[in-house]
Amino acid sequence: MLDRALTEVAASGKTTAVDTAEIKHMLDRHKAKIKISLRACVHCSLCAESCFLYTSHHRDPRYMPAYKFIHSTGLLYKKKGKVDRACLEKIRDIVWQDCVLCTRCYCICGIDIPGLISLARSICRSQGVYPDFTVSGER
Amino acid sequence: MLYNLAQGPLVWVAFILFVAGSVYQVTRLLALTRKTEAHRWGRTPDAGPLSGTRPADGLSGRWTARLRLSIAGTQPLTIGVTVIFHTLLFLVPLFLLAHNILVDEAWGFSLFAVREKLSDYLTWLFLACALFFLLRRMLLARVRALSSFQDYYILFLAAAPFASGFLAYHQIFDYRMVITLHMLLGELMLVSIPFTRIAHMFLFFVLRFLVAHEYSLGSGRRVWR
Ligand code: HEM
Ligand code: SF4
Ligand code: SF4
Repeated sequence: MLDRALTEVAASGKTTAVDTAEIKHMLDRHKAKIKISLRACVHCSLCAESCFLYTSHHRDPRYMPAYKFIHSTGLLYKKKGKVDRACLEKIRDIVWQDCVLCTRCYCICGIDIPGLISLARSICRSQGVYPDFTVSGER
Repeated sequence: MLYNLAQGPLVWVAFILFVAGSVYQVTRLLALTRKTEAHRWGRTPDAGPLSGTRPADGLSGRWTARLRLSIAGTQPLTIGVTVIFHTLLFLVPLFLLAHNILVDEAWGFSLFAVREKLSDYLTWLFLACALFFLLRRMLLARVRALSSFQDYYILFLAAAPFASGFLAYHQIFDYRMVITLHMLLGELMLVSIPFTRIAHMFLFFVLRFLVAHEYSLGSGRRVWR
């Protein structure tokens, strides 16, 4: 994707190992909500149009709100937090580049999609994985 | 043998599992969202993101804007089909003459039944809606990107009792085999409701009406514990 390459953000500095126990703990605190949301999603794709990033990216399915929460918090939950840094970096690109957390996603079944995406942001941040918007040369 | 099992004990097993599983799922869901909070958004849903227009536009203006911005406005065809699909899913079996004769024989009462010809047409219509969902899931990239085996499975569970019932009514293939299959598939669907994604039947109402969020229908105040 051209627009992806152009907006690519630098990875954060921290390179220490991922604390999977901490991720698991954060997931456990919201276990009920994550589990039931994943269950309630009938994979219908009807939330797609509610996301302006979907409509403005030539309707690329990766920008659908459902796709984003399933491949971020959903993925972390399925792996029970046992992920490596590369995986967290992929999730970082989904939850920061592909979503601006405008909270306008509209799920027909009432799933709190922004809540789940913001949880993935918190988890990434807890491991020092977040976008670095420093202008090059500034640091 | 299988016929007797399917029309006797298995009906009860399926029914009990369905009721027990459903009660369990709903009570657990309510327990998990027991905590309530004052309205987080500080406004009623009427003034929420779907209103999207100025008060000067008046009531009808607000409603057309609301409809246009909702999924009925963005995906009218799918919403239309899904409303027909879900309505028939409940109404056709409930008001089918053959079912009501069985109920009458067993308990001495029955619901009102529609003409058999009408049930036949409605079954066609239902199967067409199911086919629409199948094609949509197979052909549209946006739906394919989200699909898993279970999505096909629940669609199969919804459509198979209708298809087999249709074959049995018209005595296509061996009647006894088809009707046995029809009963087994119906029982399988019933037990699957609380334990698969079909549980969206309960989750939908709790999440949309009772849990607080930006698009709540009604004034839900429940929050996750
Ligand atoms: C009152 C109960 C129910 C409600 C409120 C409900 C609501 C919904 C909603 C909002 C959707 C998403 C829109 C769509 O994709 O069509 C949906 C999809 C679906 N429902 Fe239900 N549902 C109910 C019961 C059932 C039952 C009992 C079954 C099956 C036995 C069922 C099977 C399906 C299937 C297969 C889909 C997915 C269609 C697709 O492939 O996109 N539903 N339902
Ligand atoms: S509208 Fe809701 S249920 Fe349908 S795919 Fe999107 S998140 Fe899942
Ligand atoms: S919160 Fe993210 S996924 Fe939801 S509509 Fe906004 S940008 Fe799209």
